[in-house]
Order: sequence, then C-alpha cells, then structure tokens
Amino acid sequence: MLGAAGVAASPDDLAGQVYIPARRGSLQVELVAATRRAGQVPWLLDGSLAALTAELAAGHPVLVLQDVGRFGIRRWHYAVVIGADPGEDTLLLRSGRERRLPVAADRFVAGWQPGGNWALVVLAPGTLPAMVDRDRVVATLTEAEGLLPAGALAATWQAAAARWPADGELAFAAANAARAAGDLAAAEAGYRAMLAQDPGNLLALNNLADLLLDTGCTAEARALAARAAAAAAGRDVPGSWRSAVADTAARAEACDPPVGDR
Amino acid sequence: MHLQRSLAAVTLAAFLTAGIQAPAAAAAIATRDAVAPSATAGGERADQLARVRAALDRDDVRAALVARGVDPGAAAGRVAALSDQQLADLATQLDELPAGGSALAVVGIVFLVLLILEVTGVIDIFKKI
Repeated sequence: MLGAAGVAASPDDLAGQVYIPARRGSLQVELVAATRRAGQVPWLLDGSLAALTAELAAGHPVLVLQDVGRFGIRRWHYAVVIGADPGEDTLLLRSGRERRLPVAADRFVAGWQPGGNWALVVLAPGTLPAMVDRDRVVATLTEAEGLLPAGALAATWQAAAARWPADGELAFAAANAARAAGDLAAAEAGYRAMLAQDPGNLLALNNLADLLLDTGCTAEARALAARAAAAAAGRDVPGSWRSAVADTAARAEACDPPVGDR
Repeated sequence: MHLQRSLAAVTLAAFLTAGIQAPAAAAAIATRDAVAPSATAGGERADQLARVRAALDRDDVRAALVARGVDPGAAAGRVAALSDQQLADLATQLDELPAGGSALAVVGIVFLVLLILEVTGVIDIFKKI
C-alpha cells in the first residue's frame, strides 16, 4: 500500500526511524512521526475502552503501549489489538511472538493504564477514526500541518467537513487545505458554499477574495475584498484576521482590473 | 554550550524577522488562526518565539538521539518529522518517556517494524482473524 503511494518503506528504514539503541526501544512520539513519514495519518484515541473497541469494530487495528513489568518494575511493550469479544470480555492482541493472544479485558486495562491508556490508530488520508470528537480532529490535523503531504491533509479535512456538515470551521479548514494542495476549484467551491450559508462570513470572504486575486483582478474579487473589510470593520476580530483582511484589501486596490471591467 | 545556544537563537531570530518564514499567501487567513485560536493567542511575536524555541529543541533532540546511539544521518530526519509539541516533550523528558520494545534489542527492532508495517497497512499477515 505504501509502495503504491510511492513511499519507500523497508524494515531497515523503519527501524532507523524509530529505534533508540540506548533505550532499547522506541518512543511513542517517534512511532507517531514514523506513520506520518509514511504518508499515513496517526490518530490518538481518547483512552477509553469504548473508543478502542469502536475502532476494532470498524476494522482498524489499534497500537497500544502496555506495562508488562512485574514487582513494580516498569517494562514497556507495544502491542496491536486486533480483535475483541465483547461477550467474553476478551481482547485479542498481537503481542511479541504471539499472533493471537487472548487477554481478559480487565487484565488488559491494568497493563494499559500505567502508560496513560495510550492508543493509536493509523489510517489512510481521507479516513477518520470510527469514534473521534471534532476537537481531536482539529488538533490532530493542525499538528500535522507541514508534516503530512498537502493532499493527505486536504483529503482528511474534507472527510471531517463531511462528517460534521454544519461545522463552518471545518468547512473553512477543508477549503484552505484544498488550496494548499493546489486544488483551487475545490477551494473556491468550499468558500462559495460557506458564503451561500452565511454571506457575511469574514473568513470565506477574505480567503475567496485572496484566491480569486491570484488569477485575476476581477470585479468580483475586489467586491469580496471590500465586503471582507466591511465585515471586519465593525467587529472584534483576532489580529491575524484583521491584518490578512487589510492585506487582501490592499492587494485588491493595487491590482490592475482587466480592460472593460472598471 | 550556552553561548552556542544564544548564538543560534540570535541567528535564528534574525532569519525569522527577515521574513524567511513569510507564507506564500499572507493575505489568506490560516486555518490554525481560525479553528485553533489558542495556538496563536500570543500573536506574531509569540509565534516567532515558538519557532526559535522549536528550532533549539530540534538541535537538542537530534544531539540527544545521537548520544543514545542513533545514526546521525537518521537523527536529522527523525527530528524533522516531529511536531513542535512533540519536540518540546522530547527536549525535556527524552529519558523519562516510556520506550517500548523488547528486552532483546534486535528482536525488538524487527518486532516494532512489523507492528508499524501492520498498522500502516503495508502488510497484513496478522489480520487473518
């Protein structure tokens, strides 16, 4: 699958990305980073058993960190939860050399808690975890900005906007991500859909104006920039928005309108 | 060491304020400014300080990884793959964070690699439930 995506991943490469010889193991953050380097999206679950089993039900294996030490000595070990039997309260782990190790749920939880109930699913771009809240999606994807290919981020923001269709911020993020990925048509459609819902939306007005100004100094682009400036004028908005709106307005004023479009 | 760090900080600050980091579309409102306002609550200056901080962390963490036996060439790529928050975690507690694996180093490597490959969907030898 990675090979098909044009990513070279050999076992040696991966070991070199995560193993720390002096620690004789790998840190959680580096596993997360390695999945991003492979072009996949890492999702930390909320640490509940319900979230974990929801992923299993969706066919997503879950990487967990367990303390398998004894007598109070910590020994950390990664395992993959590959199945659950809710009737018998048993989880199925791929752990060490055990391909299918059934573990009672309460024993599993006892080994899972010392590491903060750490649980990771790794999904292809454009797929969301089965059970994830909106804020976690935002945090995961904003953290991954610059660390995942723009196309991967765009596909995943788009999935988030589709799951929470009433959430204007996600729609905005999806449109921005589409633009960053070079899909200008999708970005433009996204901003326009936001404006259809809310004609005074400052974010959509400004970014659509900025997008259109890239391709031409049209009357529409200048009108949008003016509307964004008007929307920002009467409101208490963050400084970063205000300066972006001012920059857009300045661009719109400085550009040369096409002949016959004054 | 301290002197080096200060020099690095000054150099970095100079680069950053020279506008090296200016985004391509400055007139567009960025997602992180719209959906995660807390991240930029401190404004532009805090943003730049965070960048300097992250760059210093990057150097520290890379050196720390090399000191712990990681190949220097690989270490650079590894720190580049970390987010600023992850770098900050590693810079302060590299030796306290759990390092999972196996008691046998070599088995541990191979095993972890298999786990990652499985989770990233490269192979699916374990999924035959």
